Formats: sequence, structure tokens, C-alpha cells
Amino acid sequence: MRATELVRLALSRLGSSRLRAALTMLGVIIGVASVVSLVAVGQGATSGITKQLQGLGTNLLTVNPGATTTGFTRGAAGSANTLTIEDAQAIAALDGVAAVEPEISTSQFVVAGTENTTTSIIGTTSGYTTVRNFDVWQGATLNQAAVDARLHEAVLGATTADDLGLTASSIGSTITIGGLPFRVVGILQAKGSTGPVSQDDQILVPYTTVQDEFVPGDKLRTIGISVASAGQIDTVKAEITTLLETRHDIAIGGTDDFTIADQAQLLTTVGGVSDLLTLLLAGIASISLLVGGIGIMNIMLVSVRERTREIGIRKAVGARGRDILAQFLVEALVLSVLGGIFGIILGVAVSYLIGSLAGWGFVFSPVTPLVAVLFSLLVGVVFGVWPARQAARLDPIVALRYE
Amino acid sequence: MSGALIELHDVSRIYDLGHVQVAALQGVDLEVEEGEFLAIVGPSGSGKSTMMNILGCLDRPTGGTYSLAGTPIAELDDDGLARLRSRTIGFVFQSYNLLPRTSALENVATPLLYQGVSRKDRLARAQVALERLGLGDRISHIPTELSGGQQQRVAIARALVTEPALLLADEPTGNLDSASGAEVMTLLTQLNAAGRTIVMITHDAEVASRARRQVHVRDGRLVA
Ligand SMILES: Nc1ncnc2c1ncn2[C@@H]1O[C@H](COP(=O)(O)OP(=O)(O)OP(=O)(O)O)[C@@H](O)[C@H]1O
Ligand SMILES: [Mg+2]
Repeated sequence: MRATELVRLALSRLGSSRLRAALTMLGVIIGVASVVSLVAVGQGATSGITKQLQGLGTNLLTVNPGATTTGFTRGAAGSANTLTIEDAQAIAALDGVAAVEPEISTSQFVVAGTENTTTSIIGTTSGYTTVRNFDVWQGATLNQAAVDARLHEAVLGATTADDLGLTASSIGSTITIGGLPFRVVGILQAKGSTGPVSQDDQILVPYTTVQDEFVPGDKLRTIGISVASAGQIDTVKAEITTLLETRHDIAIGGTDDFTIADQAQLLTTVGGVSDLLTLLLAGIASISLLVGGIGIMNIMLVSVRERTREIGIRKAVGARGRDILAQFLVEALVLSVLGGIFGIILGVAVSYLIGSLAGWGFVFSPVTPLVAVLFSLLVGVVFGVWPARQAARLDPIVALRYE
Repeated sequence: MSGALIELHDVSRIYDLGHVQVAALQGVDLEVEEGEFLAIVGPSGSGKSTMMNILGCLDRPTGGTYSLAGTPIAELDDDGLARLRSRTIGFVFQSYNLLPRTSALENVATPLLYQGVSRKDRLARAQVALERLGLGDRISHIPTELSGGQQQRVAIARALVTEPALLLADEPTGNLDSASGAEVMTLLTQLNAAGRTIVMITHDAEVASRARRQVHVRDGRLVA
């Protein structure tokens, strides 16, 4: 028998007992919907976290001073301040390094007109916005000339500008940082929050100026490096290690006085964890799909029983065992696939809702519904085949005599 | 192919119940030519339905040989039997055996489904068969919306829609009042007059007398 005939037969049968069909499908609908929405939630959370991490900078490496050993006591990272601007310049000259920015930081009281705030002041260079992945909203970022001339110029984070009541028209106005006048040359585009510390609440000024006014000496707190491509991260990391060990006279096998943190490593770790979480959610949701499948099997077994006489009649008028098998199997498949389709619609709606409530937006991967449909097809076959075989094997004489 | 449509030779059907063996049929020899109208008559429990099941290829004899339209049944597997049923036999049952919740038209079209006839042709042929039995205005009725006589006529339309060589009827009037029963018997007589081979099973001598030939079954054996 052709597939269209079988589907027509199944649909007309299901149409004649709609409530039962709907209730049977409900199991599959709930199962598929929970698989689809929980996977979407997992993927949404993953991509949300990944996006936030990537927001910190693309292919970012950060070098921090640290890990000196005094006697047998290993100092906390940062306890020995050994990084200098020359280190940063030497790193900038390495192959595969796209941009470098040195950082010195301090916290200062800032006043603009009648508004004031206390925020962190980052002494850096024009490289900062590139490495840390910031866009300029108004005005310009720091430039090399300002760094060289040790100018009192400031670029404000979006939140800081907001706190100080500064807008687009405030470019060129003067604010005071730690009691000293600075000219506002730019305001950065807001990034949104990344964890407890907002990247939007800070002021960038030339590092030379910070050294002059707030943090005497030539030591850096951090060097941020943007690697040209993700594939080069490991090589560049090794190059920096060799370079800094040479520059800091650290013997082979000795303890480094700096540490290099790798954004990609963090991303992989976090990605791995949340993938596992997604898998776990999908696994839990599959259990409800399994229960839905058992519901189908149950109904199909009841149906074979109820329709024993029908099976006998069909066999008497020429149906072969395989025709009966196909009829009942297709009925189970139609139930499970229709349930699957409704389940996907419901699941997508639910994940859209959760996505917009949680704020990571709606992540729709076409693979999930595809897998869900295939899975519900499988459920239909697995749980439909046994009842269908029972139907196909009925002896027509016994079936015809069945009351 | 020898002449007869049905050839039973020394056919027996023994039910093995473990502790006892019940011989529902024993040593049955029977030939039915094309165009005959045969009544198989016998009291309850004599083996009539067993005979019908074997003639209809729903069951196999445990002994002897049965050839239908020149095909020895023993050589066919279950699918082969189904195909033979589909092409050669039309059944009419005492209890009509229409598909429930299914229109007269769909009921009559069902045998054609298993012959692989397209839906359009199926419905057209079912319509013709129903009209021939005077049910042209009842095609969309489901069985519970039809009288017993009408249901039996739908069943006859279903049996005829494939133009089978053999029409097998098991107590076709058993559930009908005398008027509807007479109507069905007239119908069968007309069909036979038009050339259809009919084998009818009944315990009713009057009904049997409408057939052109009668054989009597008693305790699983053909008598006289
Ligand atoms: N499945 C079976 N198992 C065992 N014995 C059976 C079976 N089917 C029929 N028989 C026996 O075979 C004999 C003939 O039964 P059958 O049904 O052919 O009678 P029948 O002539 O059709 O009777 P009725 O007119 O009451 O329908 C009976 O003795 C019955 O008990
Ligand atoms: Mg009987």
C-alpha cells in the first residue's frame, strides 16, 4: 500500500477519536517541547555567557605581574610589580600580536559641574579600545600624541559619563580627577555588565599622565594583548613567556614573575561546562518523551484489541499481514510525529519566552527541532511496532469471531 | 487447469486441543463448477463454518488437497493466500462485518485498497457497486445508520466490487427478517443468473432450496 493511503487511513481513524488522539499526543508534545525548550535554554545560556566573555576582548591575553617566591612563601599574584612599559613595547613587536595596551590603575574622586563620583582611572594608550573591544560613542579615544605629551585628557565609560551627567555635547568640557583638570575627549559605547564589575564605569587617561599625577614609578598593573587570530594564541603565549623570561633574567626552570591569562581557555572551560549542562537538560527532557512513547504504545495496544474484528474483516477482504502492520505502525507514527510538530511549536514558543525574559534573546537552532522530529519518529516506530505486529499476526478466523 | 473452480479432495480439518482431537471436517470431496449456485446445508456444529473458512482461504485443511481456480492452496504462503482472497473471493457474513464508523462507500471500496487500485477508481467502482444494489442514495451512511437488510446489501456490494470468481456467503439471511432475507436471496439468485459462482452456507432448508444444488454436512462429512 502506498504511504499516502496509509496516512489517509491513519488520519481518518485518529479524526474519529479526536480526544483520545489528542491526549495520546499530549505525552509526545510535552516531551518534545521540553527537549526543544530546555536545549534552547542551555544553548541560550551558553551563548549569553560566551558573548559576555567575548565582550571582554577578542583573542585576549593578559599579562599580570606576580608569583614571586620569598623564602618558601609564594607571593600572591601582583605582589611584585615587575612589568614595565618597555615589556609592553617588546611584546607589541612580536609576530602575531595585533595590539597591546599597558594599564596602570588608580581610584579617584571625579567631579563634573555639580555631579561627582569615585571611579577607577585606567592609565593606558590608544590600544585599550582595540584590545578590550570597546567602541567610541562620542568624540575620540586616547591617541599616541596625548600619551607622548602626557596630556590631561580623559575618555569616559558610558556609566561614568551618565553618573556625571555628561552627554554628547560634553565633549571638550573639563572635569576634575583627583582635583586636577582633565579635558573630556570621548565617551565609550556601553557594553553591558560582565559579572560584578561593570566595564562601563571607568575613565581612560594616558598612562604617562597617571604616572605623573597619581602612581609614581614605571610599573604596570596589566598588559593586555590582542592576538591576531585565535589559532596563534598558544604560539604568542609561548613567545611572550620566552620574551619576558629573557627580559626579567629568569633562569630556565626558574619561577616566572608574571602570569599570562588566556581568554580562550576560559571560554572553552565555560563552554564545556554549559554544553554538559545542556546535554543533562536534554537527557532529563528525553525521559518525558519516553513516557509519551509508552503512552502511544499503550493506546495502540488497546486499539488493536478494540479493532480485532476490523482486522479480521480487512484480512478477509484481502489485506496481507504487512498491510495491517503498516496501517497500525503509520497510525502510531502519525500520532508521534504530529505530537512532535506541535511539541516543537510549543517548545520554540516557550524558549522564545524564556530567552526574552532572561535577556539572552532567542537562540533558534534548526538542528534541535530536526532531532526532535527524528526522535519522535523513532519513538513512534519503537513503541508502535509491537502493537502493530500483534495486529498483523491475528488469525483472521479468530479475529472475525471476536466480539 | 482442470475445469472446476473449486476442487476439494479428501479434505479434513482437525483441531488439536492437546488432550483431544476434534475432527470438524473429514474426507470431504467436492467440486464446484464455474456458474454454480451451491448451498452447503447442515445442523449446528456440523462443520459448515469450518468448510467456509477453508473454501475462503482463511484457514488451511490439515489433510487432503484444495485447489481454487486451479491454484493448489498448499503451495501458497500467507501472503499468497491473502492475494488469492483479494482477487478471487468475495465474502458475505451472517453478521455483515462492515467496518464500523466507516461510510458505505469506504466500506465497499476497502477490498480495492488491497489490490492497489487508486483512490479515485476505488470510489468510482464502489459507487457503481452500491448503485447496482439500489443503495445509490446511502453511500455516505455509516453502518449504524442502515437497516440490517441494507447493511447486508452493502456487504454484498463489497463482496462484488472486485468482480470475484467466487461469492462465499455464510448464513447471509441469518440475521434478517423474512422480507429482507427474501430480498437478499432474490439478489443472490439474480447474481447467479448473471453468471456469478455462489457457495452459500445455511442451516435453513427453505433458504437452501433457492440454490441450484445442495450438499449436506453432518459431523464433518458430506452426506447424500
Ligand atoms: N477453533 C476450534 N477449536 C476446536 N474445535 C473447533 C474450533 N472451531 C470449530 N470447532 C469444532 O468443529 C466443529 C464444527 O464447527 P463449525 O463452526 O464449523 O460448525 P457450524 O456447522 O458452522 O455450526 P453453526 O451452524 O452453529 O455455526 C464443532 O464441533 C466445533 O466445536
Ligand atoms: Mg457456523
